[in-house]
Amino acid sequence: MPVQPILRYPHPVLKKLCHRVEQIDQKIHELIQDLVDTMLDGPGSVGVAAPQIGVTLRVCVVDVSKNRHGKENNHGLLCMINPEITARSGSATMREGCMSVPDYTGDVDRATDITLRFSEPDGTLREIDASGFEAVAIQHEMDHLDGVLFLDRVTSIKTGLFRRKNY
Amino acid sequence: MTQPEILHYAVSVVGKDRPGIVAAISEGLFNLGCNIADSSCTMLGGEFAMILIISLKKPFSKSRLVEELKPVCDKIGMSLGVRTLHSDEVDRQGIDGEICMISVYGADQPGIVYRVTRELAARNINITDLNTKLIGTEEEPVYVMMLEVALPDGVTAEMVEHTLADLKKELNVEIGVRVITPVAF
Repeated sequence: MPVQPILRYPHPVLKKLCHRVEQIDQKIHELIQDLVDTMLDGPGSVGVAAPQIGVTLRVCVVDVSKNRHGKENNHGLLCMINPEITARSGSATMREGCMSVPDYTGDVDRATDITLRFSEPDGTLREIDASGFEAVAIQHEMDHLDGVLFLDRVTSIKTGLFRRKNY
Repeated sequence: MTQPEILHYAVSVVGKDRPGIVAAISEGLFNLGCNIADSSCTMLGGEFAMILIISLKKPFSKSRLVEELKPVCDKIGMSLGVRTLHSDEVDRQGIDGEICMISVYGADQPGIVYRVTRELAARNINITDLNTKLIGTEEEPVYVMMLEVALPDGVTAEMVEHTLADLKKELNVEIGVRVITPVAF
């Protein structure tokens, strides 16, 4: 399946509220494969949400197992359809960036522990507890499904001076 | 047709804080057709300090810029500095090394900034952001310094912490180093 280009802000799809998936069919399976391929293609990418490749459906993938922050504590590859966070606790700040908002980073507060449920690609409902870096990645990707970018959550103004290639 | 050349200037404006400074300066820049690219403005004590990288298309000159901004600054009691950026400064390379936050705090004493930054400079560690604040009471003043630094290749946060360990003992201050390299999701 092809790697898809990552849309960048100000592409309007990135600010859209995504639709629930009503039926998990071949199209959804293809979408998930595209998301996984696109994630694996991005250098160091730990997740991609459907709107980032232009699809306004509540689907995202996360895999932090190969990242230095997440390799000790993760669920491997998570392919999430209609994910919902049912409980959250704790709070930690992390400097985030996003493939859809290149050349900018900012400090974002997120829950450190979350419980979420979602449908697997085979349709089974799954509930997991995620924490630490994996929880941050999941919350970041799920935000995309609501048209929320990390820029909407930046808590510190001391930011954005890094990885800027030129003016 | 060739693209018109873009000129860049570094503009600094400093003076007593009050509402309306940014609006006044940015109005002057807007009237000149200048773009504000990167900027950082902050309140320090009772002063307000602005540093802006501005760009505009040729033909233009530094004297024209000063001519327009100086009266604006005079009117609100701010000092003005303008530096022309050369094209190689504008096309500077991004920072690819590990980014670290270094926190230094302890009883106020002369030389905290100098002693710490001298160690960093000797190891080619680039400071990308730094702020200091005097807190505590008059009897017990406490100095807090926060630095964001970019580490050169081959230098780790642990190495920086180790480097500053002697200084930490000597000055009797707390020094912490932690990696804050952003993660791009």
